[in-house]
Amino acid sequence: MKDNFTQAGTKFLRALSRHSDLIMQTYLTGTVDESIYSPQVLDNLQTLGIIWRPDAESDLRLRRVVRALLEEGLSDERNRQIDANVGGALNKVMTLVAHYKEASHKHRFAEAAAHLADLTELTYALIDSLKQGVRALWAKIHKEFGYVASIDAKIRENQLAQSQVSEILAQLELFEFDKLAIEAGSNRDLRRLLVVTLQSNFAAITQELSLAQARLTELLGRFREFQGRTRLLKGFVLHLEQNPAYQPAQYTQHSKVPALFNLADSVIKPAAVDVNNPQHEVELSQIVGRLKAIYHLKTHPPANASQHIQVEKMAEVELDENKVKQQVEAYFCQVIDSGERQSALEYHQTEQLAFDKEVWLYQVIGEYEALPDTEKSYFEIEKSLTDHPIYSGNKIIEDVELWFS
Amino acid sequence: MISQQGLVLEALLSGEFICRVSNEDSFLYLQDDKNAAQIEAQLNLLNRTLATAVEGEVYFAGYLALADKERKVLERQFREITTNLLPLTEWLLLVQETSGKDVPLTQGAAIRLNELQTTIEDTPALTEQLAKISAYPLFNSTSKTVDGQIKQIFKRLTELGYLIKPNPEKLIFIATGKLDYIYEVIRFIDETESLSLTEQADAAMQQGSLL
Repeated sequence: MKDNFTQAGTKFLRALSRHSDLIMQTYLTGTVDESIYSPQVLDNLQTLGIIWRPDAESDLRLRRVVRALLEEGLSDERNRQIDANVGGALNKVMTLVAHYKEASHKHRFAEAAAHLADLTELTYALIDSLKQGVRALWAKIHKEFGYVASIDAKIRENQLAQSQVSEILAQLELFEFDKLAIEAGSNRDLRRLLVVTLQSNFAAITQELSLAQARLTELLGRFREFQGRTRLLKGFVLHLEQNPAYQPAQYTQHSKVPALFNLADSVIKPAAVDVNNPQHEVELSQIVGRLKAIYHLKTHPPANASQHIQVEKMAEVELDENKVKQQVEAYFCQVIDSGERQSALEYHQTEQLAFDKEVWLYQVIGEYEALPDTEKSYFEIEKSLTDHPIYSGNKIIEDVELWFS
Repeated sequence: MISQQGLVLEALLSGEFICRVSNEDSFLYLQDDKNAAQIEAQLNLLNRTLATAVEGEVYFAGYLALADKERKVLERQFREITTNLLPLTEWLLLVQETSGKDVPLTQGAAIRLNELQTTIEDTPALTEQLAKISAYPLFNSTSKTVDGQIKQIFKRLTELGYLIKPNPEKLIFIATGKLDYIYEVIRFIDETESLSLTEQADAAMQQGSLL
């Protein structure tokens, strides 16, 4: 008997896996496309009870159990079925309890054990299906009925879920735990199943359900608000279309202006820049650095005017240079004439020259260096040098002496 | 640097709307009664008062006492609001239709500009509607393309504080509490003038379904 069951079960599961394409296709589209699959396969699946034909005219569909299995396994939110037949399950429980007690009473222990196993299975299945229902409800709430698009449809889905919740809650009220406790009596196994397991799970489920109910009501309120807002907007546009000249009343001229329209004018304008604040220096300089100079917008001054001025200036500068040059030449001539060592600074003083001393010394050295080699050899030059007070290795020329060799 | 109180005061005196989306820190600051009382005292000095709308979701500054000068300002503001109502309403409906979710835009809702644009470009009716909306003086777009029109509309709405753009590099916008304020304004006008806008819309929809 056991082997038989195992074999049949394996065969069933194999058929499921072998035709998984067909089954998933049917799960998604709703009906089997009979043109693709061979009639043998379809017959085979019908015999196994995986697909069925509701009536002669209609297409082949998945059996509810297979569908439920897939919905459960895929956590598909389209699963709207919530099994709330608690009353029927409760009657079954009572019947099994009676079987078990009778068998135990008559010392048919093997039979009693089988009844207890059935009872355990039934209890857990009952708890599982209730929990599943609660989970499905929460999934819908979390996704805000995302599987339907329009708000109206969401409201209808919400109402369906609400009715399911109330139904489950009503069914749960059928449970009379004191009656179950009396039925269980002093039997340890029965007490554990009927009192401890059922009761604690039912308490949790009831609590979850009332939470879900509150959330559903809240969601319904929100959907209704959305709906109201949309209607309000559409109504407003419509109203303006029908009455193009419509103007709202001047509420601001009423003696008491509605709070909604009491909007104060802005009084704050951006603060001004304080360039004297040293704390802002960094930021300000960054802002200035980001400014872009746009050259093509600047107007250039006429070109020939500036050239004119430059010519005059150049002539003047040359004149200046010539004076220094002439004086240096005179100095050189005096050295040749006297044939003695002569300090350039002393010459500067005796002749009371108007040039800066530094410029003078520089020019003297420059003129000496600029002489051709043949002429240079007639002169000897000596610079009186002092070290720079801070930077070693740097020398300062204080005076130059020149003599004719 | 500047304290939260200073920030809140500055925002209010600049005529800004403070909501959870646009300025969360300031919003939470104002939710504390003690802070709100302090701000109120400071606003009172300038003949202003802390006002709220949309069930406390939006804060703004209103006038404490109304003289002729204030009334003139209010009239101007009111005229602005009422002339902007129609373009804004049409825009809200356009976004709602385009998103396909049938959910009106409210505070905190995100709009992905690229998705919106693709849908509008693919639907000639929506393209027409967009062109009509973008030509209102509020948006004042002169562009001929959907891209230009939609960008101009979103730019203006961000400037006016109806939307914020959290990441300057991404074209995702989030609706602020100021949009909810617009709903409230329409609702107020509807109730005060008994326009029964909702019933009109219902009737129109039923007629539509009969046709």
